Amino acid sequence: MNHSFLRIAIACTAIAIPAISQDLVAIKAKTIHTITGPSITDGVILLQNGRIQKIAKAADVEIPWSATVIDASDKVVMPTYVLAHSSGGMRGANESMQNVPWLSVADAVDPASTYFEGMLRNGVGTIHVLPGNNTLMAGSGMVLRPFGRTVEDMTVADNTGMKLSLMTSNGSRLQKIREMRRAIQSIREYLANYEREKAEFEKEKAAGAIPADKKWEKEIDRKQKAAVELIEKKMKGWLYVPSFAELDEALRMSKELDLNMVLGANLDEAMPLLTKLKRPVVLDATIEYFETDPETRKEEQHCSARMLADAGVPFALSLGSAGPTSYPWWQLGTCMRNGLSRQQALAALTMVPAKMLGLDDQVGSLAVGKLGNIQILSGDPTSATTWVETVVLEGEVVYERKTDPRLQYLFEAAEKAAAPQTPKVDDNKKKDEGQ
Amino acid sequence: MTRLLPTSALRTGAALMALTVFASAQQAVTAYTNATILPGGKPAMSNATLVVSGGKVIALGGSALKAPEGAIVIDCKGKTITPGLIDASFQSGTKSEDLNEQSDEVTPHLRVLDSIDPEDPRFQRARNAGVTTVHVMPGTRNVIGGLGCVLKTHGTDPKEMVIKEDASMRIVMGAEPSMSNRAIRGGRVNSMYYRRPTTRMGVIWAVRRAFYDAKEALNKTQGAPGDAPPSPGTQILTQVLQGKVTAVTTARSEQDLRTALRIADEFGYQTIIDEAQDAYMVADELAGKKAVVMLGAPSAEAVAGSARSDGAAPRAGTVAVLAAKGITFVITTGTNTAALPLINEAMFAVRNGLGPQQALDAITIEPAKLLGLSDRIGSLAPGKDADFVIWSQNPLDPAAVAESVLINGQSVSQPR
Repeated sequence: MNHSFLRIAIACTAIAIPAISQDLVAIKAKTIHTITGPSITDGVILLQNGRIQKIAKAADVEIPWSATVIDASDKVVMPTYVLAHSSGGMRGANESMQNVPWLSVADAVDPASTYFEGMLRNGVGTIHVLPGNNTLMAGSGMVLRPFGRTVEDMTVADNTGMKLSLMTSNGSRLQKIREMRRAIQSIREYLANYEREKAEFEKEKAAGAIPADKKWEKEIDRKQKAAVELIEKKMKGWLYVPSFAELDEALRMSKELDLNMVLGANLDEAMPLLTKLKRPVVLDATIEYFETDPETRKEEQHCSARMLADAGVPFALSLGSAGPTSYPWWQLGTCMRNGLSRQQALAALTMVPAKMLGLDDQVGSLAVGKLGNIQILSGDPTSATTWVETVVLEGEVVYERKTDPRLQYLFEAAEKAAAPQTPKVDDNKKKDEGQ
Repeated sequence: MTRLLPTSALRTGAALMALTVFASAQQAVTAYTNATILPGGKPAMSNATLVVSGGKVIALGGSALKAPEGAIVIDCKGKTITPGLIDASFQSGTKSEDLNEQSDEVTPHLRVLDSIDPEDPRFQRARNAGVTTVHVMPGTRNVIGGLGCVLKTHGTDPKEMVIKEDASMRIVMGAEPSMSNRAIRGGRVNSMYYRRPTTRMGVIWAVRRAFYDAKEALNKTQGAPGDAPPSPGTQILTQVLQGKVTAVTTARSEQDLRTALRIADEFGYQTIIDEAQDAYMVADELAGKKAVVMLGAPSAEAVAGSARSDGAAPRAGTVAVLAAKGITFVITTGTNTAALPLINEAMFAVRNGLGPQQALDAITIEPAKLLGLSDRIGSLAPGKDADFVIWSQNPLDPAAVAESVLINGQSVSQPR
C-alpha cells in the first residue's frame, strides 16, 4: 500500500471513527532484536491492525500523527517468546484413564489461571497447551495467547496435535511401550474394520443388493476421530519421551506417525541416538541435571540443550511452572553457561518453537507482515536484573509491569521500607528552598 | 608467561601450580593478574593482581602491583575473581538419614561433625559452583537438633576439612519438628513419628523444658559439691545461655519468627535467625533486637501468593526490606531442596532489589563474620586463606561459570 495514501486514509477515517487510530501503534526502541535479522539501534516499529507494517531505524520512519506511540527509547524490544509445549493453565491436565485421544485441552483451559498472567509477566506471547505427561494418549492441544477472558478469545490455533506420552508412573517402561503399541494397533484395527465395512457396502451396492441411490452414511466414531487422524498423519503427534531409555522406541514410532518429540532431561546415555532425530525437538523445563557414577560416586553435570546442540538438532526450550526455570532469562543463561551461543539460546524460545507450530510466518521474530507480538524489556533478555516492562499482543498492550498487582504485592514491603520515613519534612524543605 | 590463556590452559595452569606448591613445599608464588577482583566487603578492583603462596594470600593490588620475581603468572584478563563463597546454612554433607536423630526430639549434644561424609557428592557440587566453606547443622526435624560445624568443601577426612567445631546449636520453631508426629494410640510403635510434640505448643514446651533444666544446672554449679553433673545436652544449653555457643533458630513464618525472638528473650540468649522467609513482616522487631538473619534460598519466591507448608510466604522483596532496615543478613541455600547454587541465590537477591556488592558480601564476608572466621576467610587480603574463584565473567550474570575454584591455593574444581 502506498504510504502517503495510507496516511491520508487513516487521517480521514480517524476523524470519522476515532477508534481506528488506536489500530496504529508506533514503538520507539533503543534496541530492537529482530531475531532473524540484525539488531537495530534506535529503531521504530509501526503496527497496523495488529501486524508489523514497518520496522526500521528511527531516522527512516515517519510516525503517523494518529499513531499511539509507546516510548521505549531507553529499552530493549524483541518478539514475545513462543512455547511449543506446556501443560500450564489447565484444571486437571492429566486424565487418569490412559487412553483418551478424544479429549481436548479446550475443555480444561482456565483463562483465569495465574499461569497465563505469569507467562505474560515473563514475555511469553504464544503457548502450545497440551495435556499432561501422565496420560498415554491424552487428547488434542491448542495454541493460545495468554490473554483473554474466554478460551475462544485466547485461541490462536485449535486441534494442533495429539499428546502422547511414554512416561512411566507405575509399572515398567516396557509395559508403557507395549500399551502405546497396543493403543495404536487398536486404532489401526478400528480403521481397517471401518474401511472393510465401507468396501463391502460399495461391493454390495455394485452387485445390486443395496439400492443404487443409497449412500454410505456411517461416519468415523467421534471417540476415534482424532486418533484416526493421528495414524492417517492428518494430525501431528506430540510425544513426551521422559528419558534416553524410551528414545529408541520414540524413533521407531516417528517412522509411522507425524511426530514432534518432547524430551526429558536425562539424555546422556542416548547421545549417539540424538543425531538420528530428523526434526527439531522440545526440551523439558529442566535442562541441567546431575548424574552420579555408581562406582566412583563422582557426579557429573549434564545439559540436554548442550547435547542436542552438539548433535546438530534444533531445539525449543520450555518454561517450568514455578521456580527459576519459569524465567526465560534463567533458561537462556543456563544454555549460555553450558557453552551455547546467545543466538542459539534465543532461537530456542522464538523461531524454533514457532516453526514447530507452523506459525513461523506469524510469530517468533520481528518482520513486516508478522503479528505485532512484542515485549519491551528493561535490559538485555539474558540478564538477571532485566524485567519485562510491557507486552503487546497483536498491537494491543496486554501487560504493564507498573500496574502488575502481583509484583506490587511482592515489592510493596521493600518500597515501604525504602521510602523516607517523614516525607512531609522533605516537602517543607523544598518549599523553604523555593522561597 | 604473561599472555592471555584460554580456559583450558588456565585450568592446566592452576593444576600445574597446585602440583608445584605440593612439590616445592609451599615455596612457589603464584600471581593472578589482569583480573577484575571483587575482594569481599570492598568495591571491585579492575586490572588487579592477586598473589598467593603457601595456601595464603600474600598480596592484593591494582595494576601497580607487580608479580614477584620468579612467580608463576596466570593472566586472568576478562575474568572475575571473588573470595571462595561461604554457605552459612548448607543442608547436606551427610547422608539424609543421618540428619535427624530419632531417639529424642531434644538433642543439643549431638555433633553433626560425626555424620559428615566427605564423599557426599553435594560437597563436590558446591565447590564446583564456587563454594569453599560451608556451615552444616543437624536437620530440622528435631526441636533442638545439636551442634553445627564449619568445613572447607574439599578433603577426605572431616578432621582436615573442619575449621570450626561446635560453631552453632540449632533450635527449630514451627510446624516442622511436629509435622508428621502422631500421638501413640495403641498398636505397635514402629515409626519415628509416634512421638511428641504434635503441635507448635508442644515444640515450644520442649524448648522451654530444656532451657529450664539448663538454668537450674547453672544455678546448681554454685551449689553443693557432690551433685550429679548435668546431662551432656543440658551442659551445651548452659553454654548457650552463657553466650559460649551460638544459638541458631530456624523459623520461617511470621508467627514462628516472633516466637523465636520471644523465647530467646525469655531465657536471655542471643540467636541467629535461620531461613526467615517471612522476615519482611517482622523487620522492625528484627532490627530492634539487632538480630542477624540467615536468609534461606531467596530464589524461592511466591509470586501468586502460594504459601509453603508451614505457612510462610516468601516474598521477592524480602532481601530489599532487610537491607533497607539495616538488618545484618547473609544469603544461604538453607533447607530448600530446590535451592540453586549459592551464587545464583545471590543473583536472585540482586534481581529482587539488593545491590550487587551487598549480594556478594552476603555470601562472602558477612557469613565469615557471622561464623567468627573473618580473620581467615570471606575476603581477599594478605594473610587470609587463599580460597578464591575465577569466574568466566561477572558471577552475578546467569551465564557465568566458575572456571577455577581454589582452596588454600590449590585447585579443587573439576573441569566443566
